[in-house]
Amino acid sequence: MQNRISRRDLLNRLGVAGAAFAFGAWPDKVRAIGQDPGHQEAIEAFTGPGPNPHWNSVGPYITEPQKAPLILLTDRPVQLETPREYFRTAFTPNDAFYVRWHLDGVPNAVDLKTWKLKIEGNVKTPIAFSFDELIRNFTPVSVAATNQCSGNSRSRLQPRVAGGQWGNGAMGNAMWTGVRLRELLQLAQVKDGSVQVQFQGLETGQGPSGFPSNIFLKSLDLSNTVFDECIVAYLMNGEPLPMLNGFPVRLVVPGYFATYWTKCLTWIRVLEAPDENFWMKTGYRIPDTQRGNTTPDEVKAGTVKTVPIGRFPVRSFLISPDGSSKIPSGMAVTLRGIAFSGFGRIARVEISDDDGKTWVPAKLGQDHGPYCFRTWDFSWTAKSPGRYSLAVRATDDKNNTQLDQPVWNPGGYLWNRIERQEIVVGEAR
Amino acid sequence: MMTPNTKFRKIASAAVVLATAATIVFAEVKKGYYTPSKLGSLQQAAPVQMASDSNYEVSAYPAPAPELASGDGLAEVRIHCSTCHSPRYITMQPPLPAATWEAEVTKMNKVFGAGIPEDVSRKIVAYLQSHYSTENRR
Repeated sequence: MQNRISRRDLLNRLGVAGAAFAFGAWPDKVRAIGQDPGHQEAIEAFTGPGPNPHWNSVGPYITEPQKAPLILLTDRPVQLETPREYFRTAFTPNDAFYVRWHLDGVPNAVDLKTWKLKIEGNVKTPIAFSFDELIRNFTPVSVAATNQCSGNSRSRLQPRVAGGQWGNGAMGNAMWTGVRLRELLQLAQVKDGSVQVQFQGLETGQGPSGFPSNIFLKSLDLSNTVFDECIVAYLMNGEPLPMLNGFPVRLVVPGYFATYWTKCLTWIRVLEAPDENFWMKTGYRIPDTQRGNTTPDEVKAGTVKTVPIGRFPVRSFLISPDGSSKIPSGMAVTLRGIAFSGFGRIARVEISDDDGKTWVPAKLGQDHGPYCFRTWDFSWTAKSPGRYSLAVRATDDKNNTQLDQPVWNPGGYLWNRIERQEIVVGEAR
Repeated sequence: MMTPNTKFRKIASAAVVLATAATIVFAEVKKGYYTPSKLGSLQQAAPVQMASDSNYEVSAYPAPAPELASGDGLAEVRIHCSTCHSPRYITMQPPLPAATWEAEVTKMNKVFGAGIPEDVSRKIVAYLQSHYSTENRR
């Protein structure tokens, strides 16, 4: 007979149940039965000398003013990384947006009665604007733009370099609204012979005057076409900027690394000669080579010609699934992520589930402009159980694409290697 | 009329239903495990008080002290390195070659104007090298 249960089988099954009752085990006390799942362990306190194997950096979560719990890199000055899950959408919430300051005098309060944005230096009419004037007297303009730290993903480099050990979360994308920088400069009337504009925020450090540990200064060439796109932003995703992201106003330099996006921008200084301060002449420089690549030997030999860092290279990320749980085989799951480039609009995103041997295009999400995160998704089915290495690569409309070769330079900048995520696919039956 | 055989089969069926239910509870899922571990928990900050004036203020930024390796030079690190930044700048780093730690302290003095006396700088370098280098960081 088909459904006959053998006497032995029945006794075995009753035995299991019987044993359970004997232990007094019923739903809320079942922990005595079966295998203890064990206690959750903390992530390692540091990574290296190999590359950081995690998507994010490994610090503890911390709750800072106006912020959701973010990953702590350093507490003074404040450096916080955005957890991976916040990149499921094109716009990063303000309270989850990463934070990076250089000097420990990070503003805790700004009084808008006295604060003014000043334009000075080589101009005919030095001028200052109150916050109220900025929001009322100019036509607001908005740009969706990615803000990425120069050192994003520094913890991937081999050999490792000293500096902020960021995972991939030193980036974010927001709708920035404010006043065109050009409009403000026109009112101050830039004099002939000016070459650069220097930006300074409220940030100060404990170091002696005249040293880079005292103030943080960044400059852009006046001839740079990005000037036409820069805005002095007083809104971030339609809300005032969090203090840690640069309240009351922040410079937005679309396509450029965040080092130029001066927070709490207060002084705009027109220069007659190139800025030779440390943060331009020594810091934030990249080898003048393909992808900014060099080697420790070339650095030691002192043969590396460097230039100030500029636009960020094309990148893409798989955000979910993030590899933290298994996927049953045979089931379609949606892979989701983002892509962006400082050089142009994202043209395509491709997925590989065979470690980069073959690539198939993903579906691109809504286009909010050339500097915005572009979401993508892809329906993926693993037909058999196993470990899969999913890779994602993006190409922009200038035909810049991601490569599988690593990047190395002593500053730990420009990392944009093709990202991979191991996914464990389990049996479904 | 129920034969002893069918009677047995009915009892068997009922038992199987029970047993199957028990198996679902005890074999196919695990339930009810808790741990007193504090891992993953984080205190919420209380809402701040605000006046409707022109001052925009946030509370102090939390700066919990990181754990530093104990040993010779620790006191000097706490005094001098902490002038400008949290010692988390040390603990955050990957294990670095001894020469890199020396270069970092030199940079702090020469480039950033830390002005740490030479003998103290040597002590700080020795401390960093003996606790946070490729050879010995744990």
